Amino acid sequence: MREFRDARPSVSRRRFLQGAAAAGITAGAGCLGGGGGGDGRVPMDVEEWPPEDLGSNLNMWNWYDSWAEWAVDAFGEEFDVQVSNSGFSSPDQWYSQLEAGNDDIDNIAATTNWVERSINNDFLHELPVDIMPAWDNITDRIKEASSYQQDGSVYAVPESLVLYPLTYNDEYFDEAPSSWGVLWDDEHEGNICMWDNATVSCQIAAMYTGQDPIQPDDYDEIEEVLIQQKPLLQTYWGDYQQGMSLFVNEDVVAGPLTMGRTYTARFNEGAPVHYTAPDEGAMYTSDLFVIPKGAPNPIASLQFTNWASETENAAKLFETMGYQPAVDISDELSEEDAEFTNWPDDWNLVFSETLSDEVRSRYDEIWTAVKAA
Amino acid sequence: MAEQSGASVGPEDDDDATRSGAADTGGGLGAVSAFFRERPRLRTLAVAGPPYGVLILFFAIPLLAMLVVSFQTGEIGGAWTLSNYTDFLGSDTYLTVVWKTLLVSLQVTAIVATIGYALAYSIVRFSRRTTLLLLLVILPFWTSYIIRMYAWINILQSDGVLDSTLNMLGLPAVSLLYSEPAVLIGFTYVWLPLAVLPFYASLTNLDGDLIEASKDLGAGPIRTFTSVTLPMTINGVITGVVLVFIPTFGSFITPRLLGGTNNIMIGMVIENQFKSAFNWPFGAAIGMVISVVVVALLVLGTRLGGGLLATGGEEA
Repeated sequence: MREFRDARPSVSRRRFLQGAAAAGITAGAGCLGGGGGGDGRVPMDVEEWPPEDLGSNLNMWNWYDSWAEWAVDAFGEEFDVQVSNSGFSSPDQWYSQLEAGNDDIDNIAATTNWVERSINNDFLHELPVDIMPAWDNITDRIKEASSYQQDGSVYAVPESLVLYPLTYNDEYFDEAPSSWGVLWDDEHEGNICMWDNATVSCQIAAMYTGQDPIQPDDYDEIEEVLIQQKPLLQTYWGDYQQGMSLFVNEDVVAGPLTMGRTYTARFNEGAPVHYTAPDEGAMYTSDLFVIPKGAPNPIASLQFTNWASETENAAKLFETMGYQPAVDISDELSEEDAEFTNWPDDWNLVFSETLSDEVRSRYDEIWTAVKAA
Repeated sequence: MAEQSGASVGPEDDDDATRSGAADTGGGLGAVSAFFRERPRLRTLAVAGPPYGVLILFFAIPLLAMLVVSFQTGEIGGAWTLSNYTDFLGSDTYLTVVWKTLLVSLQVTAIVATIGYALAYSIVRFSRRTTLLLLLVILPFWTSYIIRMYAWINILQSDGVLDSTLNMLGLPAVSLLYSEPAVLIGFTYVWLPLAVLPFYASLTNLDGDLIEASKDLGAGPIRTFTSVTLPMTINGVITGVVLVFIPTFGSFITPRLLGGTNNIMIGMVIENQFKSAFNWPFGAAIGMVISVVVVALLVLGTRLGGGLLATGGEEA
């Protein structure tokens, strides 16, 4: 990553200008007394817990809407902070704000690969996780995954694990399908779907053909099987709600869907669905709390990050959204929910590392070719 | 007396003051007017400058930035290259997507123009409640685009509103969702108001006596339409066609939500470059090529269709 930055002096100029602009705006906001926390402290200045003088506001961007709605009130009341949340549908919405020079966002629920991009572009504050009590709550599996820790510095605290399993209709299937091959089975023609997402779909095809989904060695085979699959599909879904509706309306019996949407379909919509990780493996990624540079209330944001990782608050994330928190919440769950969140040890789960430019580009080309075929 | 005197003097003073002020103001305005009258270029600049400034700031500069980015390698700020253009133009895959997009856009434009013209014509010629009807035409604009698409999902899906209605009538279900007809229906619904309004405007300006004259001279309805009505309203038609064709060509939400596995449009490819492939320069290059293609098609269309650009839209 160092080489990447050094090789592009113009990026440095851009960063300098963005930083200068952000600093100017932040300083201006500080002079005007806006937002609180305008004493110039950054998260790494906090040496003892709990931090003092949080400020009066917190502006977060969190796409776990239902949980965020609850957290706005719960955190605000507990710490006497005025909290607001901007939901978003795609990470590029907040990322473009950071690129333009953030002076508004205090806390973001950011997906792994976007966190890495943000770190590489120096958009994020380093976090003093060693003094944050809730840091110990984060499970080892997720603590060790991802690349939010670089050169001994930690830039994020994991919020949740996002599994991309095979979701299936448990009334249609007698038992959980053991292979992604179910999505290539003529028997289910017209009753299966794929995700309109180059990376996810190509990685499923890579696992189905026995390849490494992070660094495949036969792109032609991936393209070939995806083209073979097309006539069997009802559709590619491109929106989470749309994907979930396919299962809720029982238009499809199997396909990729997130664990959270499967949970919502099962427990909130009453759909006969469950999920599994096929023998070939299933990908998972993580969403993480980050504090962007230019945040007007970085200390309140730091306190919020710790608060959200406390067990009971993390459990609320699962209850409202169905995603696996990065914290062990097994003691907080009902038997039914505990069963749903249980990922057996024999599941072959593959962390969705940030892809190389080459792999990402090839996956994108393949997916365009498949859809155009 | 003093009061009377004062009362009598005061208004005169006020009146003088008012007149004096008016003279000053008039003099000031006159001076400004004279200043600009003597400097016609400056006068033009004062009138046209602000809108052109907005265009430059929010259209030309971003377009220029996109052009610059399109000649860079993988990351913004990278080395200069032509590879984004050669990769795009040299790929059968991407050109196939452009071709498919063009076909869908032409179909949508033809459908919307036909329905929209008939609708506008019926509103102008046969209805007294034109305001109410026009309000109904633009009513969908008050609802979010995405919500309208989800409404169509509910209508077109299997066992949805359409299928239920057909079943009630004893007809077989059609399950149109996730098909090309679903995409065409979605587009037609979304863009119809954009076409109806210019069609309506041009038809309103059409002199009804010309139609009567045509009939008096023995022309039938079709001949009258092709030789009088359509030529006299061609600029409105072209405007409506442009307003439909351009957004359809760049669309990605409608085909994604309503289309099946074979409905890909170039807007979806561009979106993907920015949102998930992280290859902004390549996305910018595709965007530039598509912009050039669309502008070329529109210039060609307007030239062939009656010369809107040349006449300034005064034919109607």
